Amino acid sequence: MAVGVACVVMTMACARHDVRQAVPDVPLPDISRAATDVQAQLREQHAVMTRVVEQPSSSPAERAAAYGDMGKLFVATELYEAAERCFANARQLAPGDMRWPYYLAHVARLANDPARAAGFFEQTLALQPDHVPSLVWLAEMRLAQSRPADAKPLLLKAQSLAPREAAALYGLGRVALEEHDFAGAVRQLEAALALVPSASRVQYPLAMAYRGLGNPQQAEAHLRLRGEADLPPADGLMGEIGGLLKNAAAYETRGGQAIDDKRWPDAVRELRQAIAVAPNNGFTRLNLGTALYMTGDANGALEQYQAAVRLRPDLAKAHFAIGVLKETAGDDAAALDAFGAAVRADPASSEAQLSLADALRRTGRVEESLPHYADVLRANPSASQASFGYAMGLVRLKRYAEARDRLAEAARAYPDQPGFAHALARLLASAPDDHVRDGPRALTIMNELLKTQNTLSSAETMAMVFAEVGEWDRAVAWQRQTIDAARQAKQPALVARLAANLRLYQQKKPCRIPWADDDPVHRPGAK
Amino acid sequence: MSAGASAKAEGPQPRTADWFVDRAADAGLDFVHVNGMSGQFYMPEVIGSGVALFDYDQDGDLDVYLVQGQPLGPGAPASRGGTPLTDRLYRNDLRVEADGTRRLHFTDVTAQSGIDARGYGMGVAVGDIDNDGRPDLYLTKFDAPNQLFHNNGDGTFTEISKRSGTDSRSWSVSAAFVDVDRDGWLDLYVGHYLRYTLEGNSRCVSPSGAPDYCTPDSYQPLPDRLYRNRHDGTFEDVSARSQIARAFGPALGVATADFNGDGWPDIYVANDGKENQLWINRRDGTFENRALLAGVALPLTGKAEASMGVDAGDLDDDGDDDLVVTELTGEGTNVFVNDGAGVFEDDSARTGIGPASTGLTGFGTAWFDYDNDGRLDVLAVNGAVQVIEALRQARDPFPVHQRRILFHNLGGGRFDDVTARAGAAFALSEVGRGAAFGDIDNDGDLDVIVANNNGPVRLLVNQAAAGAHWLGLRLVGAGGRDQVGARVRVTTAGIVRHRRARADGSYASANDPRVHVGLGGSAAPSDVVVQWPGGRSETFTGVAADRYTTLTEGTGR
Repeated sequence: MAVGVACVVMTMACARHDVRQAVPDVPLPDISRAATDVQAQLREQHAVMTRVVEQPSSSPAERAAAYGDMGKLFVATELYEAAERCFANARQLAPGDMRWPYYLAHVARLANDPARAAGFFEQTLALQPDHVPSLVWLAEMRLAQSRPADAKPLLLKAQSLAPREAAALYGLGRVALEEHDFAGAVRQLEAALALVPSASRVQYPLAMAYRGLGNPQQAEAHLRLRGEADLPPADGLMGEIGGLLKNAAAYETRGGQAIDDKRWPDAVRELRQAIAVAPNNGFTRLNLGTALYMTGDANGALEQYQAAVRLRPDLAKAHFAIGVLKETAGDDAAALDAFGAAVRADPASSEAQLSLADALRRTGRVEESLPHYADVLRANPSASQASFGYAMGLVRLKRYAEARDRLAEAARAYPDQPGFAHALARLLASAPDDHVRDGPRALTIMNELLKTQNTLSSAETMAMVFAEVGEWDRAVAWQRQTIDAARQAKQPALVARLAANLRLYQQKKPCRIPWADDDPVHRPGAK
Repeated sequence: MSAGASAKAEGPQPRTADWFVDRAADAGLDFVHVNGMSGQFYMPEVIGSGVALFDYDQDGDLDVYLVQGQPLGPGAPASRGGTPLTDRLYRNDLRVEADGTRRLHFTDVTAQSGIDARGYGMGVAVGDIDNDGRPDLYLTKFDAPNQLFHNNGDGTFTEISKRSGTDSRSWSVSAAFVDVDRDGWLDLYVGHYLRYTLEGNSRCVSPSGAPDYCTPDSYQPLPDRLYRNRHDGTFEDVSARSQIARAFGPALGVATADFNGDGWPDIYVANDGKENQLWINRRDGTFENRALLAGVALPLTGKAEASMGVDAGDLDDDGDDDLVVTELTGEGTNVFVNDGAGVFEDDSARTGIGPASTGLTGFGTAWFDYDNDGRLDVLAVNGAVQVIEALRQARDPFPVHQRRILFHNLGGGRFDDVTARAGAAFALSEVGRGAAFGDIDNDGDLDVIVANNNGPVRLLVNQAAAGAHWLGLRLVGAGGRDQVGARVRVTTAGIVRHRRARADGSYASANDPRVHVGLGGSAAPSDVVVQWPGGRSETFTGVAADRYTTLTEGTGR
């Protein structure tokens, strides 16, 4: 009997030993290039896995789970070959568990092998036919294989099981596009957006669907809303992997992704964790500042930007961000300091140069602003804001001929920006320099502009033009109308200025001050 | 529009085991690109470089210009085997024996050419800027002013960079010569990439924290430049006035063609990770970016993709130019099919090209008829821009290499991945970047020269088209300039095919400007209608097959 029991025990032990030996080992791959804390995390997980799989009392399900946890961490660190070995072992140990073929499918997908991925998704569905994420992902693989007809029934089934699964609608919309069923594509994609309005990636295929229907206006409307926020299926299993890594780079990556998707609170959370792990990373502080600003926390943002420049004095973007915040708060002196620091840190930064130039011009340091506008235009000849700023700086410095030439060139270069033509017309009508004024040319420009531009400013300019060409009655009439409109708009300062010019026109005298020194056009960005 | 070619494949199928054979070493092309890497993962390391095929000495065969890198950071090699790092010009000394055998041999003539290429080279564009019939060279750079070299016609070149006004200092990759105002003089479009310095290099890591190359998102893009030819060896920067600087991204590929069929050249710019631009010529010196509504700014998914190499060609022979754009691993090469009016459908999946290329990062590419069956096929050279983990695990010293890919046009808008049948040269795993397409041995089929990053040049001599007939055209204007941009409609035994003379496209490279048309099994003479870049149209009848014929503007009907 004892011998019999011993034999049974030996047999059981051998069987357990056979199960353990039936799956191949999964050694730790070369992780020497990974970050130190990631190496530690991988080693620790591998040690846990090893302990479990070598434990004689571990059940197959426990071993499978151990391999599965290791595999998930390998996926997070993009060690896909090792991940595949883990999940293959898990599947062998627990063949009825749909998680393992599901993760194998994603490993193949991430390794850019949609055919293999599709095979594993099919195996997953064989175990759990109503697993909606598998249906949607399998459909994605079929689309990637250029098999929209095979994708469609999968997505329809997913939709029937989960009517609010927007990713299924998104997929159906793309199938319809492939089939040139533009009306169907519009229906499906609009439905997807109705469920997840923030999924801006959907806007582009929707625009193409409207284009296919011959509706370019709707197409353009949706093109304007396009963005990078994707619409994957709700996927708890893959979601487990997303948050596995605890190192600074992973938090930073997740934070950056959240910023790209405009998920500001998520970005703040991830980036705060990144800083908790690596507090001396200036770039992370900069990104956190941006995320905080977008959540409306300007003070918190400023704190992070200031920390960023303490850590990295060469971080031009952080200096620039401080400048923007100070400018918004009306602190011109601090804004100037910050923009100046940004330009010193990165002289090629056009945004810093432009902001510095505007701030200098706003605070009366016009001569100093010109080289910065010039730098912006050298880097980007189409920087219209710099072009305008430079021209108005010249006006302020009473270099009217140069200003005229710049405005004329800009008006040709930016025909869709009427501000240049308008400014040119005002200068031609009222510059103190006789050699610059050209009333008839100003009249031609304004007659054209007023077809589409009907503002207080353009009306004021038109009165100047009439005065310059000697049409005093019309100048007076226009000026009176403009004063009435300014009163209705409750702009007393403007009313006073207009009234002064009205008196000139009534005396048959033209205006010779195109813009007062305190005119908003000379104070860009003023609060 | 005339009917497209709808016949099935004609003529003999490729017989030899290797459709392309690498003859670089045999032919004396001993160039090896050095990317200057030093372990710091500087971005320029993985971006260059390009190659040009052009007949600089006007002896009827294609010479080769190869662009070289430079050391980046401490520890990078300053020479290769003691030879200084410099661009190279190789003269093609092709010899055709009495029995028709072609002997390819290249001679390094860099020293005597007078070409003093400075800085870290990126790409090359070729065009005859002064209509003297001799192609000139424009070199793009990472960290130095771009250079323009005038071909003196005696085997030497003179640098006219500064005087010409085209010596942009911004990081440039692809450039294209194109007569945007149809005044008979080639203007120049230069794609600018990123605002980047070695000192400002960001430290980027993979999710595991391992160091890796950054993506272009880490830096600011730069606006491109359009230079108008003033006809006197100088160019005027019309970037602002033309409005092409109003929308820009990190430009890597540039291809020019008349995409909307109005007779005026347009410009397509492939931007890395940002929306591409389609600059439609408004015929008044300005351009409008219509890429979004035209359907070529983004693929159908709406996700901005990498977009490196690009070519325009008529894949379905319906008389308009379609686009192929190579992309990053995981994205798949994009194919945009033109409806003739400049409105495109994303047919990447339907053609089969997208799905088959998903695992690869593509650069140089072109529409080219490799088997002379009359339909345009596609080749792309590949190589990743971020570390491939499996290669890193295998301790590969440069773990970004991938194999090339070749697609055969089956007709009906479908393509077949025939890489496995193309031969040993396609089994190599390398870091492909520039690729120039042309008939290097003048035997009537198209060869490919591949510029590998940090590796040897490959001269893939075509053996796949043996037995099939072809038509070769050199389209020239007064003065003998290659009339790039000219479109041809070739009718052969009732079958109509459409091609375009072009040197631009691919990636950072310059192609053979001659027009090559595969004719399959038909050796009948062809009628050729040429739409010249200036707008004039002429017909040339009875153009013989299986030879190169020069058609000069003004001599047709």
